[in-house]
Amino acid sequence: MNPASTSIWDKIEGSSLGTTIAESTWMFPTLESIHVIALVTVLGTVFIVDLRMLGWTSNKFALTKVAKDTLPWTWGAFVLAAITGSLLWVSKAHDYMNNPWFIRKMVAMALAGLNMMYFHFITWRTVEHWDKDATMPAAVKVAAALSIVFWLCVTFFGRAIGFTLGVFGS
Amino acid sequence: MQDMLYHFSQWLSSTWISPFALNLNDTAVSQWLDTHFWAIPIMQVIHILALGTGFGAVLMIDLRVFNLAGTDRTFAETERRYVRWIWWSLLVLLITGVGMTVAEPPRELINPIFWIKIPTVIFAVLVSLWFHNRVMRQLAAGGTAGPGIKLGAVFVVLLWIFIMFCGRWIAYAPT
Repeated sequence: MNPASTSIWDKIEGSSLGTTIAESTWMFPTLESIHVIALVTVLGTVFIVDLRMLGWTSNKFALTKVAKDTLPWTWGAFVLAAITGSLLWVSKAHDYMNNPWFIRKMVAMALAGLNMMYFHFITWRTVEHWDKDATMPAAVKVAAALSIVFWLCVTFFGRAIGFTLGVFGS
Repeated sequence: MQDMLYHFSQWLSSTWISPFALNLNDTAVSQWLDTHFWAIPIMQVIHILALGTGFGAVLMIDLRVFNLAGTDRTFAETERRYVRWIWWSLLVLLITGVGMTVAEPPRELINPIFWIKIPTVIFAVLVSLWFHNRVMRQLAAGGTAGPGIKLGAVFVVLLWIFIMFCGRWIAYAPT
């Protein structure tokens, strides 16, 4: 590559943190392993809440309680996934930013976040009226279905990155 | 460690597993999976989703043991909600795992980490069966979780974490 056209992503990749991870034999796989364990925990706990919202499981129990049981673990695991993901990204920032699947994954995560925020700040306002219902209002079901779809996309796009990294651009 | 794993894979190549993997590699189904670009990533995605549902269920049962979640439920209710998800997840993990092995037999079968992972999975299933039958029955009947049960709960989660580590490291095994 032409050193004169070094982008911001190349600079990040060339940082001491980036090169340390990239040159180590064990750091990248270890970060990836922690990333997988964290994201699996995010998926598992998110789906538990989504399935309750869809009225498929745990219908006898209040949604607020199901959410309270799982959300600390969802957030803790999400933070861990974000930290390990960022470190993986730093080590190959140029390739990730040139990979369309990486961009799609970020978009899918942003959509999952927006869906969650809309649900939390708008739909959730009336939660006391349907908290214990076996069948929840349509808006709740739609939020749950969208959550499942977006997280499926995040998982698929994430795996697609691993098969296409370095294929796009230069 | 690196040396030990390397010698392990050298040894694997010298056993009957090596010709078996090569023969499997030549089958039509293996060729089909290997030449269709998205086949392996899709199996991996389903594998990861099954890990999510299975590990999530294990986590919720363990948290119930420690009274950190599901305190509005009895142990029997927690068990009824989550245990079958673990077994269905394991079935999906097995099917996709076999699929990924058939798609790339030498990569998986002549791989020291693979042969550390699989016995650990079998061990984890046996430990889970023991945990489920002995411990959950006792708790469902109204008993309390003693230190043995709590230790077992932590052990099962650690086994899952170790197995997931192995799963990712299969891609990086010294061969």
